[in-house]
Amino acid sequence: MTDRRRINGPSGGTSAPIYSSYLTKDSRDIPERPTRTRPPNVLRKMFLKTGVTPSASGSAYLELEASKNPNSTAPGLASLSTSGLKLTCTVHGPRPLPKSAPFSPHVILTTHVKYAPFATRKRRGYLRDNSERDLGVHLETALRGVIIGDRWPKSGVEVIITILEGEEDQWWGDDIGRGSVGAAEWGMMSVLSGCITVASAAIADAGIDCVDVVAGGVAAVVRSRNEGKAHMPTLVLDPVPSEHKEIVAACIVGYLPGRDEITDLWVKGEIGHENNTSSGNTSYDELADNAVQAALGSHRVLVAALKETANAKLRRLR
Amino acid sequence: MSTIAHPSPSNNPQSSLSFPRETFAKLSPHPYLLAHLTPSPSKRANSRSTAQFRTPHINNGSLTHAEGSAVVRVGDTTVVCGIRGEILLASDVPNYRVTTGAVGSGLEEQGAEEEAKDLDLLVPNIELSTGCSPQFLPGQAPGTLAQSLSTRVYSLLHSSRIIDNEELRIWYEPPDLSALGSNREDESMEDSEDSEEEDKPKREIKAFWTLYIDILFISLDGNPFDAAWASVLSALRDVRLPHAYWDPDREMVLCSDSISKSKKLTLRGCPVASSAVVFRAKEKRVSKGEEKYWVLVDPDTFEEGLCDECVTVVVDCTGGVVKVLGIEKVGGTVVGREEIRRIVRIAEERWKEVSSLIEA
Repeated sequence: MTDRRRINGPSGGTSAPIYSSYLTKDSRDIPERPTRTRPPNVLRKMFLKTGVTPSASGSAYLELEASKNPNSTAPGLASLSTSGLKLTCTVHGPRPLPKSAPFSPHVILTTHVKYAPFATRKRRGYLRDNSERDLGVHLETALRGVIIGDRWPKSGVEVIITILEGEEDQWWGDDIGRGSVGAAEWGMMSVLSGCITVASAAIADAGIDCVDVVAGGVAAVVRSRNEGKAHMPTLVLDPVPSEHKEIVAACIVGYLPGRDEITDLWVKGEIGHENNTSSGNTSYDELADNAVQAALGSHRVLVAALKETANAKLRRLR
Repeated sequence: MSTIAHPSPSNNPQSSLSFPRETFAKLSPHPYLLAHLTPSPSKRANSRSTAQFRTPHINNGSLTHAEGSAVVRVGDTTVVCGIRGEILLASDVPNYRVTTGAVGSGLEEQGAEEEAKDLDLLVPNIELSTGCSPQFLPGQAPGTLAQSLSTRVYSLLHSSRIIDNEELRIWYEPPDLSALGSNREDESMEDSEDSEEEDKPKREIKAFWTLYIDILFISLDGNPFDAAWASVLSALRDVRLPHAYWDPDREMVLCSDSISKSKKLTLRGCPVASSAVVFRAKEKRVSKGEEKYWVLVDPDTFEEGLCDECVTVVVDCTGGVVKVLGIEKVGGTVVGREEIRRIVRIAEERWKEVSSLIEA
């Protein structure tokens, strides 16, 4: 499919490089999967900075460190590393709507999420696909409740997120054609939680009035499998899909700590109700509560970053 | 929302008739810039001199899934470039004649001058619709600026020939099985030396590496071409291609993931681009008489909006010899031969600064 406005690759089509260790069945050659070294209720270190795009009304950059294989110290080739999360967000607005648009008494929020072509293990194209639209809709739901829209009639705000490096859905080693258990898109959940946090920082940087600062958090129920014997499922905060053999369910929330309200909630996987689960199995309510705890953690980082921004702005005004 | 990012303590008392600088810049940009440039020595609105560039900052290797990557910050313009390698099988190329050649036989260079261009092995693309600036919002197909930037990067990549065709080829040398046959016949030892050259299987090209060079603008504050080209160059220098080989049993190209066998690309030369715009004292064109003009190097968005004429010079000074790879000049007739000579000399200075950063 040639895109006439872009420079296209070879017409014959290219394929991603296949590594010989993908095909081998000898377990000695396969490096170990990275394991989760932090305790189940500790989040990854987050780096958040605002003001990366001065020409926009507001902008922010978020980075979550990649999980490292504890045994290897040498820098790895792209095939062996697991990625962290790198997001940038720019906010343009509030801008006047075009004259042809119908009157709206509140601000119209438009969100746009896009993976960069080099963001994931499989190269993505330039046109938006369904998962990106899905993320955009969830992000809009999370932010819509927070912005005080009545102050800007006939205006629009655009929130644009570019994902420079995205979480993977599973460890690459599991992808070896031994019949992977259909990996649902677990990576998207941590990406969405990061998107909510970074969008909220950018909106605050733009000076748009909000009722509170919304933060995103994600929690999951994972089960490790050793020699075919299934262990009890455990609850972890801020899961990295490649660190776990099997993820049973995951939940992501957009949470307002000041008002103790949730603006967006998304649960994926198999999870039971409190009354129906046997002892030891996690229930839906527990999972949602833990996701809220994770959101509180990212809220702390968010507030610290916003304080720095506010101080810098005040210094410039003086 | 100020377009000029520097604080300015005003010495004059705030009377009701005077504006702060940012407002003046927005209301009447042309007189604002003219007022800065007229006294000598000329200073621009962003307090640089007319021949002063912004300091670049380059960071490599930050993207996990890319074979090579670079983040370049020039003032407020930020560019991320990621290079991914994919494999193109020779059998998938339409009308391809298998090139064979023994090692070191020079047959490899025949007809291979334009190989990278004919087979589309280098695919640069510039994405501006990332919200980097209020006029580039996403959801739009690439506009004029993005398409012309991509084409300029593409043609500079190929015309500068910084990547040798050999780097992108994946050879296959079939194992020499003639040794098995000659053990039984001892009397034909003399003949076998002559015929060894013909019987020895020739190595052939089985596949090519295709480099997808994706350039994303995080923030745009003027002079996109210089920053984009610097990011491409720096990312190419950072690329580490795994060792690829043809597996005859599986009949596919496999890669080895050991770092010791992977190789970095060897680039020929280090071309650096420098751009400038021409600011004229009178907005309307005057047909006769001398008019004052200033050549502003490394413009930002404010200055680009006020100028029509633009000059870009690409030089490469590796090995002490100055080579001019390209001069592009559009938009007006103010700049003549003497001015171009001066700009090339300024570009040489810039080459020293940028190439030492890229090679570090």
